[in-house]
Amino acid sequence: MKSFEYFKVKTVAEAIDRLKENPDGSHILNGGTDLVLRMKENHLHPDRIIDIRGIEALSEISFSKEEGLFVGACVPLGEMAHHKSVMEHYSMLADAAELVGSGQIRNVATMTGNLCNASPLADTATPALVLKAIMIVEGLDGEKEIPVNEFFKGVRRTALEKTDLVIGVRIPFEEGLQGSFQKASRRKDVDLSTVCASGVKIGDEYRFALGAVAPTPVRLPQVENFLRGKEINRETMKQALELIENEISPIDDVRSTKEFRIHLAKTLVQRCLEQMA
Amino acid sequence: MKIKFTLNQEMIEHEVVPNKTLVKMLREDFDLTGAKEGCGGGECGACTILFNGKPVTSCLMLAVQADGQEITTIEGLSQGNELDELQKTFISTGALQCGYCTPGMILTAKGLLAENPDPTREEIKTALSGNLCRCTGYKRIIEAVEQAAKQYR
Repeated sequence: MKSFEYFKVKTVAEAIDRLKENPDGSHILNGGTDLVLRMKENHLHPDRIIDIRGIEALSEISFSKEEGLFVGACVPLGEMAHHKSVMEHYSMLADAAELVGSGQIRNVATMTGNLCNASPLADTATPALVLKAIMIVEGLDGEKEIPVNEFFKGVRRTALEKTDLVIGVRIPFEEGLQGSFQKASRRKDVDLSTVCASGVKIGDEYRFALGAVAPTPVRLPQVENFLRGKEINRETMKQALELIENEISPIDDVRSTKEFRIHLAKTLVQRCLEQMA
Repeated sequence: MKIKFTLNQEMIEHEVVPNKTLVKMLREDFDLTGAKEGCGGGECGACTILFNGKPVTSCLMLAVQADGQEITTIEGLSQGNELDELQKTFISTGALQCGYCTPGMILTAKGLLAENPDPTREEIKTALSGNLCRCTGYKRIIEAVEQAAKQYR
């Protein structure tokens, strides 16, 4: 691992100041399970590391029906997955968080980190998309909100400026929402998603998202529009699943072929529909 | 840079470079070789330690992240000469052969039992899914955790 300067900051303002000093050479350290690995493998070699884990305010997790769920940037995935309100009102998010890496990783890694890495297969990204999560960001001009559907810009690219710090993720509460998270991987636990999927149903509206089938996690607007207000039966299910292929652009890689990913995408969306029925 | 942390119940002040991982610091600077860097990528769990009581993979953390925190390695699990229940049951059930994965297995199990003192077999398997064993096999390891859980209760 190449050498770097290390700063442990105590406040959000201090973190922004440090970023401002050298926006191109700085990298935020949160849990670090992805960053440290990428530095060890020399994919990344920042000049400066800004450790935000000492900012106490970012370890907050709260829920109310009016405000929804707020998960501070530094809340570990394991703590989030076992939080009473998350299990009660956002069980699909808990399911997804519980399938990121191992228990050891989930004691350190965070949802904010998972989303900021902007991997196409990030497990918490598809629930974030269908639950209409909002990234709460502090930047040079104060706080701003970035809806998660505008956050992913490409493989490992986000809408964040180099002087921005995500302070947490807000997820609105929607009464009567049903959700489902599905993951296909080579190994049952501790594996990256070959494909992952999330679905929600609220009233007669459906929302779906898929991971690992395009450069970013994607929503499925054609499928959603087709199913709105429709009764789910053999025929409508079949027609909906056929639309998926138009909305994704999977590739061959070490985990799967393009063809199998298309098959998995359909299978996982079908499982979402069945679980929500 | 200088960091202060608790290592196996002892307050430590230590000078460490920022680009050193936690597992390397424990092994090279403190001679605590229980935690191993197996895969170096968070897959095998051989580097598992307790960080504020919770199992973490120390190969994916920087040593400087230990500043202000409490760390327990396998070397700090026994109370003097009195082994922890998990150490005893790993021995009595024969849950180890080469021993490479054992510190990680025991510390992950320790974290599980702290949160869930009466786990099912399935819960033990899930909790240990981030710890790979390549020689003993998992059956006796799971039995050792079940027996330790009984002893703790």
